[in-house]
Amino acid sequence: MKKTAASFMSTLILGAAILSGCSQDEKASGESSNANEPKVVTIQAQTAGTELTRVENLVKASEKLNEELKEEGKNTEVKVETSSFDGSWEDYAKQFMLAFKAKKEPDIYATGHENIGWLADGNYILSLDELKDSKEYSDVFPVLWDSVTYKEQIWGAMQDTEARPVFFNKDILKKIGWTDEQINDLPELVKNGEFTLDDMTKVAEEATAKGAAEYGILHRPVAGPDFQVLSYNFGGKVYDPDTNQLVLDKKAVLKQLNYYNDIATKKLIPENLTATEWNNVHKMIVNGKTLFYYGGVWNVFNWTQDNFHDELGKVDANWVNEHFGMMLIPAAEKGGDPITLSHPFVYTVSSQTEHPELVKRLLELVADPELQTEHNVNTSHLPITKGGAEHPDYKADVTLGKVAYMSDYTTFLPNHEGYPKYSNALFTAIQAVELGKKTPEDALKDLETQLKNDLSDQLQIIE
Amino acid sequence: MGAFLSKWKLPALMLGPFIVLISLFFFLPVLLIGILAFTNMDSAMRWDFNGVANFLKFATDPNILLILKNTVMYVGMTLLLNVLFGLALGILTTYFVQKESIGLVFRTIWMLPRISPPVVYILLWLWFFDPSSYGVLNSFRAIFDMPPAEWLTTHPMTAVVLANGLVGASFGMIIFSSAIKSIPQDLFQAARVDGASQWSIIQDIIIPALRWPLMFVTLWQFLSLLTSYEYILLLTKGGPLFESEVLALYSYHKAFQNFEFGYGAAVSLILVLIALIFSFIMWKFFGMKKMLGSSRIE
Repeated sequence: MKKTAASFMSTLILGAAILSGCSQDEKASGESSNANEPKVVTIQAQTAGTELTRVENLVKASEKLNEELKEEGKNTEVKVETSSFDGSWEDYAKQFMLAFKAKKEPDIYATGHENIGWLADGNYILSLDELKDSKEYSDVFPVLWDSVTYKEQIWGAMQDTEARPVFFNKDILKKIGWTDEQINDLPELVKNGEFTLDDMTKVAEEATAKGAAEYGILHRPVAGPDFQVLSYNFGGKVYDPDTNQLVLDKKAVLKQLNYYNDIATKKLIPENLTATEWNNVHKMIVNGKTLFYYGGVWNVFNWTQDNFHDELGKVDANWVNEHFGMMLIPAAEKGGDPITLSHPFVYTVSSQTEHPELVKRLLELVADPELQTEHNVNTSHLPITKGGAEHPDYKADVTLGKVAYMSDYTTFLPNHEGYPKYSNALFTAIQAVELGKKTPEDALKDLETQLKNDLSDQLQIIE
Repeated sequence: MGAFLSKWKLPALMLGPFIVLISLFFFLPVLLIGILAFTNMDSAMRWDFNGVANFLKFATDPNILLILKNTVMYVGMTLLLNVLFGLALGILTTYFVQKESIGLVFRTIWMLPRISPPVVYILLWLWFFDPSSYGVLNSFRAIFDMPPAEWLTTHPMTAVVLANGLVGASFGMIIFSSAIKSIPQDLFQAARVDGASQWSIIQDIIIPALRWPLMFVTLWQFLSLLTSYEYILLLTKGGPLFESEVLALYSYHKAFQNFEFGYGAAVSLILVLIALIFSFIMWKFFGMKKMLGSSRIE
């Protein structure tokens, strides 16, 4: 009997030993035993990608916060621990979800604003309504508040924003006979609605026909916000805030699909653009293989970070400025408004954070124009406050100065929980059209079926 | 009571840890998937039960027909490659190469893909199929002045079947080699004395002796192929579009890309059902029960 008990116990112990590997570590409390030393509060902040200033600025803000705490006579010291995720945006969202459930999530989670929908619906994040009244956020460009508003509440602190211009290769335009003056006037023509999307396609055709460029147009190779902007350009809408439903605007989406069909059948884009690696897309642009590129202003930063140019390796902002220009996405119709899309990055705060007050103070301090500018100039992003836009370093920047006006023409993605599904389905439709697997009409029909299946009552269809 | 305990204490000690592990990492997940499949759990991770809605959704899913067709193609072709290639390797390295040390070297070489991490293995395939002129296949084409081809977008399923089939062949190879070795040498000697051709030896001695290993490898590989998706995920991500998407990968994509955990679980559950039905058929009609008995050759 004893032996049986012993064998049973040993089984349990072995099992427990194996399981203990899965158990979670205690969060480092960092509390000090010495009463005179300040109590250290650790706040974790996470971002994704190479723009590390997004979290490093929080460390700098914490220095200021610690000074303030000292002045207030509080015996607390804030320490910010930072990390940056390397991987796809879906994986970035997934790891946060799982970390949250294991109570190991960062206190501050920096992400694209369109994630606010699912983060808020899933009770992952705190509402930050009080930020709207804080001094630091008083001079935010008003339109940006829309990007962090969901179900009439504020859910994030804007970190930066950007413009998504169309890059044009000046050398290629010269090769097809454009003068310097014509090239320099192009952004202005686009701004006034005199150079339309059709004109852009025609110039691209001319460049490839004359052999001045291998491709006329490039866009991102994976699903993302840039595709939605074309639907806006054709007068479509994607979200109905009154009913909190996503919208499939069939007329606009058909025009959008027709556009991608058009540039694919005219062979203006590479045959398998949607199966191409990002790095190869960057290489094609930097090495002058394409006339136009639907990009983002931060791409200038990307090109300075990696050896994309065959001969020069890493290029600098001045080089980019010399060889490329940036313009708004031309209007779909003559005399219409050109367009761009901004995708503000936001700090969200975990609903499980133990120090909500300190985190919120940190988010106020990080909006300091000085810190914003450091991030903006380093990584080619746009400021969120007027204070940031007035900073002399920002104004002096060779790239950013040229796109500041684009904020007036900007649009956003919807903050709806189902948007990631919508975006993936739309991308699949575009991919099918570009690969010549479906006609735009068939792709639209399948998209409708897919969205009805994926979103059911979260979807509204406009014929 | 005492007698019962004394009879079972050793088995309890020996099997206990594994029963705990299997319950935790096999039965519990299956149970959880079974429950999850009847919820509409999404990114908010709430257990909201929605009846059979996920299964209705599966029935009306516009991609399902293509994905089922892909699954049949993928499992069928890979299985064929796995088993036939494994058999050929087994015969080559044990029957034709009689010297054990040489056979071992060849078998070890064929085991390399299996012991290398999938990411590394697939990286080699990606390089093999690379669309630029530096890809292995495309550099062969360049010799004949042919332009580089986009293998992974034009022939995604072939690529997936090849990558899976070659790595899977090593499993059959090991099983078949040991079975061939267990065939008494006097059978071969008698056959040679009688002047049997090589083909006849393979056909009349080796293959009949391998009937049970063949059955086992086929069933085993069938079940593992049905649920495997990692090589496809790494090689083509199921694309372009849904051209190399199989049911197991679709479940993964639904759960972890679209965050439809409930629907993803329902797709998995359907996969489990398919596997169970096929196992039952094989068990019932192909005499699997006898296979698990003692060796046929004494």
